[in-house]
Amino acid sequence: MTAKSLSLWQLIWLDLRALVRDKAISLTLFGGVLFYAVLYPLPYLHQVPTEQQLVVVDHDNSSLSRRLIRHADASARIQVVGRVGSIDEAKAWVTDGRAHGLLVIPFDFRRDLLLGRGATLSFGGDASYFLIYSAVVEGLVSAGMDAGKQIQLKGLLASGQSPEAAAQSLAPIKLNAVPAFNKGLGYTPYVVPGLFLLILHQTLLIGAGILGAGQWHRPGYWNRVSPLMLVSARVLAFSLLYCLFSALYIGWCYYAYQVSLQASLGQVLLLMLPFLLTTASAGVALSCLFVRRELPTQVILLVSMPILFVSGFVWPLALIPEPLVWLSQVIPAVPAIMGMLQLNQMGAEWAAIAPKWLQLWGLLLLFFPLAVWGVSWRRRQLPAAAR
Amino acid sequence: MKKLLRREWQAVWRDPWQLALISYLPLIGVLCLWWLFSAGLPRQLPVALVDQDNSSLSRELGRHLEANPVTAPRRYLALDEAVEAMRRGEVYALVILPYGLKQELLTGHTPTIDLRYNGQFLLVGKLLASQLQLTLADGLQQVARLKQLAAGVNPSQVEVRLSPVSTQTTALFNRNNNYVGFLVPPVLIALWQLFAMLAFAGSLNRELRQDTLGECFRLGMPSVLLSKFVVNGAFMLLHGGFILVLLYQLLGLPIAGQLLWLLPMQLLMLMGVWLWVQGIFFMLADCARVISFCTALFAPAFAFMGITFPTGEMPLLAQWWRLLMPSSHYIESHVALVSYGAGPASLLPQALGYLGFLLLLIPSWFFARRYARVLQSQLPLEETL
Repeated sequence: MTAKSLSLWQLIWLDLRALVRDKAISLTLFGGVLFYAVLYPLPYLHQVPTEQQLVVVDHDNSSLSRRLIRHADASARIQVVGRVGSIDEAKAWVTDGRAHGLLVIPFDFRRDLLLGRGATLSFGGDASYFLIYSAVVEGLVSAGMDAGKQIQLKGLLASGQSPEAAAQSLAPIKLNAVPAFNKGLGYTPYVVPGLFLLILHQTLLIGAGILGAGQWHRPGYWNRVSPLMLVSARVLAFSLLYCLFSALYIGWCYYAYQVSLQASLGQVLLLMLPFLLTTASAGVALSCLFVRRELPTQVILLVSMPILFVSGFVWPLALIPEPLVWLSQVIPAVPAIMGMLQLNQMGAEWAAIAPKWLQLWGLLLLFFPLAVWGVSWRRRQLPAAAR
Repeated sequence: MKKLLRREWQAVWRDPWQLALISYLPLIGVLCLWWLFSAGLPRQLPVALVDQDNSSLSRELGRHLEANPVTAPRRYLALDEAVEAMRRGEVYALVILPYGLKQELLTGHTPTIDLRYNGQFLLVGKLLASQLQLTLADGLQQVARLKQLAAGVNPSQVEVRLSPVSTQTTALFNRNNNYVGFLVPPVLIALWQLFAMLAFAGSLNRELRQDTLGECFRLGMPSVLLSKFVVNGAFMLLHGGFILVLLYQLLGLPIAGQLLWLLPMQLLMLMGVWLWVQGIFFMLADCARVISFCTALFAPAFAFMGITFPTGEMPLLAQWWRLLMPSSHYIESHVALVSYGAGPASLLPQALGYLGFLLLLIPSWFFARRYARVLQSQLPLEETL
């Protein structure tokens, strides 16, 4: 076969065939992408923690304290699992893991309230697990407020106020607090959109890395064409393959995991185009650094967690040290994740994410020449005989 | 045995990537991730404030929001602009003080203050929701106090009338809700587990790459494997100790139990990781595939630890999968010791949970034996050649 006989399409075909035939690559690409689509969101499928175990220390034993406990138990967030005599005992329950929170009702709770002296309820929640803690506290605060309101209402009615006026002065202003974008405050709509883009990004880099690392040290179809041609073909081959994977992730999985979808199909495609091209170029550029096939996976794996946290949807960008945020801007996944969240999950205008879109194209201008340069460098490294 | 240890150590020394994996890379990774979360307590989070009332009351509420260290209100004149800013992710929440707020309040109507928080950024959204409600409720109590006094309530009675039941909320084991204490230990343990996995897999893969597996069988496979675990595991245990010292000594995070008891638990976790890697290695026996498979297995370990999302709420399948990960066993002991002050007596039953990993010895033994037979059958062939 002469050097001139390979067209771009033939090269793309050769690359795709090499991907599928290489077991390590197809395990990562096909196996990994499908496996992760199920495995990563698996722990979060129940979305919100409910019915957290609570242990009660009731020193009062009055009708009101019992009603308070029943109200707490009725809250969807809390399940009362036991009553004990002292705070020490309750703490033992928490450390054993039998309960995640405790409620202490003081002596003379009802009596003090009826006499108009005020009383203090104590809650404790296990803050080693924040989601459990917030569930326990939210449930108890609403139960406690409710008990207080009922006493207030009784007092106001007893002092001769009309029921309407009494209800009014109990709640002079309504606070209407509603979550936006992820209305159920579920965990999969929070984690899935960003995480799935990151999985696409990382598996693509690994696939391109293993493919390149396996080829550089021996001659093959890759050194029969110009580096520019090879890089173009490889970027296109990976982008084509990842169009399929993206369709699965962003089309089907987002829908299946109840992620809120606000952008139009055209806008999402427009955003994914530079993301895939840039990531593929970055993958080819990175692959030039390796000649051992097991190394790219290791490097990419180790940077996954830092990229996940620096992309700004788990931990707010405002709190991440500035130098880390600047550094992260050269990773294609970082602008892509933020752009996707703003566009698709939060319904921003295209104009709002245009800078991120342009940044992705800019990164393409950085990585594509790097990839071409890297490939030609690898070619010069080949012994003359092999050339 | 000494000879084998020296053999392994020299091989590690000659392999720059392996050396990096057990020496400086974990340090860099750990420090970077800690730096990322080093803010610890969320502060000055931008919140959009749309004041359509412009009364003394609405300005008062605005000042209350400014006084809260968690919120940093940004004023917007038009609602549309604020909504756009929220969609762009520039602000995490939106407070609308409606037109006629003060007037309606004074004339005995019930005005509504609308509050929207970003549920897409769950962590920030939930925090802001509770902080904003607390702050506004506190600001509104001033108004209610005035109303009570105007209605002729005895001043000493006003407080009780306003909130007869006061509540005292305690965040047990993590008093100030510090995210460094909550999130960083599991994140670092997950990263550490990845490093351990890669170091073990790298050490085994080297025999394959240099075609020295036959030599290992001649030297006695079990003792070679043991030497590999001892050399690489010792370094990883040092890193595990470094994580503990960094978090609980240098940063001074609160710890209830004796830090030293976590080291045996870390050792057990490393053994679990080693058994996994060894089993996969003998099963696949190909460098790149071993790494790919181990990566697929260990990469999602963080999600299954049950710290960010509680274990009890996971579907049954996830709870089973969770048991396959050594890190989920370890993190339970970690929390038990750090938060609840568990001693060796209560850590022991948790240690027994690792026994299941011994089952991985069966496939290792089976495939290793098959491999040894293949290698032996090749040997005479080479000699005749």
